[in-house]
Amino acid sequence: MKCAQYWSSLLPLALVFFFTGSVASAQDATKPKIHASSIQILMAQSDEVKLPIEFQLALYENLIEQIQKTNKFQHVYRDGDTAASSDPDLVILHSNVYGFKKGSEGKRQVTTVAGATQIKVHCLFTDKAGKSEFAQDVTGNVRLLGGNLRATFDFAKKVAQIIVTNFQ
Amino acid sequence: MKIPRGFPIQFAATVLLMGVGSLAAPCLAQDANTGNAISFAKTKQVLGLEGLKHNATGTLAAENGSLVFTKGKKRVAVPAASITEVMTGKDTERTIGGTVGTLTMFAPYGGGRFLSLFRTKIDTLAIEYVDTSGGIHGAIFTLREGNALGAKKALLSQGARTSVSAEVEAEAQAKPKEKQQ
Repeated sequence: MKCAQYWSSLLPLALVFFFTGSVASAQDATKPKIHASSIQILMAQSDEVKLPIEFQLALYENLIEQIQKTNKFQHVYRDGDTAASSDPDLVILHSNVYGFKKGSEGKRQVTTVAGATQIKVHCLFTDKAGKSEFAQDVTGNVRLLGGNLRATFDFAKKVAQIIVTNFQ
Repeated sequence: MKIPRGFPIQFAATVLLMGVGSLAAPCLAQDANTGNAISFAKTKQVLGLEGLKHNATGTLAAENGSLVFTKGKKRVAVPAASITEVMTGKDTERTIGGTVGTLTMFAPYGGGRFLSLFRTKIDTLAIEYVDTSGGIHGAIFTLREGNALGAKKALLSQGARTSVSAEVEAEAQAKPKEKQQ
């Protein structure tokens, strides 16, 4: 009897979750995908926080590698590449680091709960004219296995997933 | 045959000095001031050099106006003139690393965690360079402790550029040690 009461109290909550989920997926489905044949990745900027250069470079290199792996674009241009300016169908990815916490690999391995490294980045996709196409905040973490730079790999994987979802 | 007094002590001191000397600069092939080739063995290319896998261990050299990384038959060269930034840093890594290091995580009674306490100090070297079409590249290396500044000086002597001189970086890295003392 008690069990039945318990389940009946959970039922309205389950219904709410079910409908909000379906609404969200419906919104995703109706959202038009962005079309671009090429992308240019700009070097990550860090105006608000002091980001060590190795993290800045690892962010940039991992982004290029992971975006190339998505096979969504014919060309993935680097920052400063002169050929990008003549590409007619180009989207530009701007990354601005607004949060950075350098953890400790040793602490992570010894305690398993402390010493996480986290990088918070605001990603903005624009066209050549600078018009915003899409923006999203992405967080890269490393919580247990791997060195601190693995947070940049985690971030790049998440951005690649966003591109797969939002680009044709 | 009579052995002169003090000979054993002199002999022991000579052997000790020879041993310490070989440990002091195990990877410097030639002096940086001469402008000739300098190589750093057991350097790990963490990422960034094209044609090489991540975490490839090889030899980093500054020779003939280029940064050269060699791993077996693979050889990647970056012209020093195209290097726009060279920065060094310090870090630590597990003494027992790689697959074996990961497997030790499953050792019973927290054995893996205990082994994680044993860490080796390393130096990091980050470079930013430009390719022929103007595209910016970045590469990160880890070297044995005490070698990054030597590598930076060697690259600068070959024509690389930096926003922070090696001397300033050496002072900045020495300051935290002074504070601890």
